[in-house]
Amino acid sequence: MIEHLAPEIVNGIVLGAFYAIIAIGLSLIMNLTGTINLAHGSFMTLAGYLAFTLMSRGSNFWFALAASAICTAIIGLVVERLLISPLYKRVPLYSLLLTFGLSLVFEEVFRLIWGPSTVPFSAPPELSGATQIGDVFLPTYRLFIMVALVVVMVALLVFLYRTRLGLRLRGAVQDAEMLAALGTNTQLLYMTNFGLGILLAAIAGVLAAGLLGLGPTMGNDLLMPAFITVVIGGMGSLAGSIVGGLLVGLAISITTLYLPAASEVIMYVLMAVVLLIRPRGLFGEEGIFG
Amino acid sequence: MMKFANVIGVSFMAVLLVLLPLLLPAVGLNISLGTTVILFALAASSVNVLLGFTGLMAFGNAAFFGVGAYGSALFIADVNANLILGLIVGTVCSTLAAAIIAPFLIRRRGIYFSLLTIAFGQVFYFIAYRWSNVTGGEDGFSISKPPIFGGSSPTLNGSSYYYFCLAIFAVLLFVLWRIMRSPFGLTLQGIAQNEARVRYLGINSDRFIFVALLLSGFVAGLGGALYSVSIAFSYPLLMDWHQSGDFVMMVILGGVGTIWGPVIGAAIYAIAQNVLSSFTPAWQIIIGGMFIFFVLVFPKGLLGLGAARRRREEEASQDPDVAVVPAGLIEGRQP
Repeated sequence: MIEHLAPEIVNGIVLGAFYAIIAIGLSLIMNLTGTINLAHGSFMTLAGYLAFTLMSRGSNFWFALAASAICTAIIGLVVERLLISPLYKRVPLYSLLLTFGLSLVFEEVFRLIWGPSTVPFSAPPELSGATQIGDVFLPTYRLFIMVALVVVMVALLVFLYRTRLGLRLRGAVQDAEMLAALGTNTQLLYMTNFGLGILLAAIAGVLAAGLLGLGPTMGNDLLMPAFITVVIGGMGSLAGSIVGGLLVGLAISITTLYLPAASEVIMYVLMAVVLLIRPRGLFGEEGIFG
Repeated sequence: MMKFANVIGVSFMAVLLVLLPLLLPAVGLNISLGTTVILFALAASSVNVLLGFTGLMAFGNAAFFGVGAYGSALFIADVNANLILGLIVGTVCSTLAAAIIAPFLIRRRGIYFSLLTIAFGQVFYFIAYRWSNVTGGEDGFSISKPPIFGGSSPTLNGSSYYYFCLAIFAVLLFVLWRIMRSPFGLTLQGIAQNEARVRYLGINSDRFIFVALLLSGFVAGLGGALYSVSIAFSYPLLMDWHQSGDFVMMVILGGVGTIWGPVIGAAIYAIAQNVLSSFTPAWQIIIGGMFIFFVLVFPKGLLGLGAARRRREEEASQDPDVAVVPAGLIEGRQP
């Protein structure tokens, strides 16, 4: 039994780490500007395709990972300045709809450039194969993803809690108007924050491409569990996103083992249960976000 | 007493919709497109009940639409090939679906409400996608058009089905119009404008939102039930959040918070999709671009253009960028 269960638990943790990192990016953007970024998945896919193109031109995996993540984040900054920032003074519905339209455009552009089916995106040779831990063989790439995502999360936490800019970002979530009155350029903060969210999505996108296969809808397939992660963890909480992501990932992978047909529905059951017990989500604070 | 301009507008729309089966073939389009416009208009109106009148950012109404579609299609295929009974079953299913998820939604406002509607809406998509021995899974399943009263009664096709849908649609639109002028509808609009004040009056706004969700589920489900019969087919993407987004966009294209806005928006969307997809497989780029353009440039939709100009003439100092939808939508940002 355990030899079946252990790989599934690792799968669950890897999936959960993905959901967590996507959910953190979504949360960052949602908390500061009230924008529900429906194009988040498209940015993940974009980063995956950029890395794929670089690698098919002979670049190695590590350069492709870094370059595509940075390029995607820059595209994200441009999108934020040109399209999303004019909507900050309106109700959040409009930025939601704008990113929705954006995701439609992105998805079709991916189909036009890279074709409608999945492209072969393989992990680098040094990460292929499997590692034996105790009695269990685990794919090295999955272990690498776990480590990489933990590093990214720690780096993010250090940034948010140990730097001036991170302090300002957290302050802006509480009261952007006051921060602006104290002389901070909040537009610059909004932009940085959006770029940061997209950077996280881009890194997750490239890593996910090697694991789940790269097609035009890869990012969008990961987006819905990430939304549920945000709800379960509680809006506005980074710890909530991490715990929520792991819960969703584990629930999905364990259900896949015993009752594959219910593997998606289980996360909704989990969400409903959490909302019944704690209407604000596990770590959600009372009073923020209605 | 209706205003003269409104009488003209309503008569124009009515004549246009009645003559549509004659007009569409004249420009080389199929009559089924007219049916699609009407049924999408029903779905968009169901969004408008929540978004336009109650000020709730609902982003999951495709779930109700799809549950209605599956409910009627499954009933017609497996139980009884009877159009009227199928429609009733589909609509009951979608209203029940709304009743099941409503308790999770009614206490949330603002973007939290959107997030929950997106998430809960998707559960029905996955049920249809995964429960393949009943629903046909990803491919969906087709049905044959049922006789209107079952047995040997006539089957509605082409323009007769269009007029059948139009009749139902006209009744529902009238009912919605009446509801929005009833004390119940005015309370919903009060919630949109200033929920705190409504609550101070001793009104339990959560309960009103619950009923608004049921109403929305009912209207969307009826649209969906009619739609699956119209295309003789039911498939999971009907319930996907992309479809929900399309319905919300129709409301915005036409004009949020107006009775006719969703109808106009649905017509723009359905016709654009139909025409563009015959030209290019990449029509989604143009539709998505149109959404982005409208959101940035015409956030009040086509009907809002005239209204906005009138209001600007009345009070010249108004900032057109601020608070397009009632202030209640912003609630939730204040700590």
